[in-house]
Amino acid sequence: MKELLACWAAVIRVKLAEQMAYRSHFALSVLLLVIGDLVVPLVTLLVYRSGASFPGWSLHEALLVQAVFVLAKGIAFPFFFGMIGTTLSQVREGTFDLLLLRPRPAMLMAMLLGFDPEDFGRLLSGAVLFGFALSGVVVPHWTSWLQFALLFIASIAILCAMSLFLSGLLFRWVGSSRVFDIFDAMTGFGMYPGTIFSKTMQNILTYVLPIGLIAFVPASALLGRSGWGSLWALGSAALLMLVGIWYWNRMLKNYTSAGG
Amino acid sequence: MKRQLAMIRAIGFVTYKEWAAFRSHMLASLLVGPVLFLVQVFIWQAMFEGKETINGLTFAQMLTYFGVSTLIHYISFDFADWNLQMLVRSGKFVTFALRPMPHWLFALAQKLGHRSLALGVEVLPVLLLFLFLFQVNLMPASPGWALLSIVLSFFMNFFINYCVGLTAFWLVRAEGVRRVFLLLKDVCAGVFLPLSFFPEVVQKLLFFLPFQFITYLPTRVYIGEYELAGIRLSLAEAVGLQALAVLITAGLTLALYHAALKRFTGVGV
Repeated sequence: MKELLACWAAVIRVKLAEQMAYRSHFALSVLLLVIGDLVVPLVTLLVYRSGASFPGWSLHEALLVQAVFVLAKGIAFPFFFGMIGTTLSQVREGTFDLLLLRPRPAMLMAMLLGFDPEDFGRLLSGAVLFGFALSGVVVPHWTSWLQFALLFIASIAILCAMSLFLSGLLFRWVGSSRVFDIFDAMTGFGMYPGTIFSKTMQNILTYVLPIGLIAFVPASALLGRSGWGSLWALGSAALLMLVGIWYWNRMLKNYTSAGG
Repeated sequence: MKRQLAMIRAIGFVTYKEWAAFRSHMLASLLVGPVLFLVQVFIWQAMFEGKETINGLTFAQMLTYFGVSTLIHYISFDFADWNLQMLVRSGKFVTFALRPMPHWLFALAQKLGHRSLALGVEVLPVLLLFLFLFQVNLMPASPGWALLSIVLSFFMNFFINYCVGLTAFWLVRAEGVRRVFLLLKDVCAGVFLPLSFFPEVVQKLLFFLPFQFITYLPTRVYIGEYELAGIRLSLAEAVGLQALAVLITAGLTLALYHAALKRFTGVGV
């Protein structure tokens, strides 16, 4: 564990130093992420302003779902999602071999190399949005906060599992940057209150592709709309993580190259 | 002129063949497009509950708006900005500076080839999915004006993106600028929401910016009525305005291109 933390600390130091070489680019990239993450909430705000609304959801409640989603991305993206880019470029170039030769598990190395400090910008936009959304709802009880904290861990685990699936896919679907579009499309469902979807779709988004667990379930817990029963999501997230790890390692076996 | 057309055709054909080797890249749109559209269907179904119209659009018109804007996005999709910035940053642009053809024309020819492939691989299948799976009304109100407007949108998107790519001649690392600009472009073009949802003051500003001509205007022309910031135009007026905007943007792009070339220095490759 100590070694793992030392690895992360070293990577964070190097990546930050790297970003400081292009400071304006770093600042713009962070700004982009902040603006980018606020686009969907802006759309929601404009639609509510026009008099329409999600039935049973006030503006602040709907924004809370989106804020939780952005916050979860703010943690999952810098630490896990960079591995998708690493796999994409290194498998295409044939330099993934270098990761296999290092004295640490290849999955960990892919995550470490993919660490991206820019993505912490999402935490900023998520926090601002979260604060704004909370200002318009009844102050949650401490039990709701506890449920939310546990479910938030589950949502990060689900995002981590998704990064493993997408990264693993790139060992076969070499060099396709469309995996990011696929992620954006699939998680589009997770940015909105789950009740707007049909029953069948709600079941799919909860039990088959647990995208609803990323933001809708934790936000509902914080709003006091779901009981302790929703904590089953923790088990579901853990299972998905295990399947993700298994899938990634299995797909790694498909990697072939002719040396660097 | 005839020689240049032959060159454009040859470059377009080579690009077509090159990208045909990576068909699965484009085929991903068959999943991405309909899934994103499905999200919109659920959102607006919920929003329209108990309402006939929102901001003057019916539920059917709203779905048509998002369906058409998705298809226009596929038709006019462009990455000239990324390509040009990569060439400048890597120094490979020097090979283009020596060719008997301006790079902007080369990039346009590449786009023609790339998007020709997309017509069969992306646009047509997604169109059929929208028609038969989602049963969206995709019948243009006036096919002639709609087609002309989409063609103009194709050029508008190219010129704007090329201008963004040209920033690489002035900035050391222009990727951040490019990404910020492209996001704002999509917001201001009406990709995420019809521009009529924006506050009146913002609508007035958006009317004078070139971005509405990429998505919002062609989509509204396709539907058969155009209105922004309280300004209502006939289809002919709207497309005429779009053509004028494309001409002005093309002129600005050429001026910027010549200014950029004066800044360029390259040392062998």
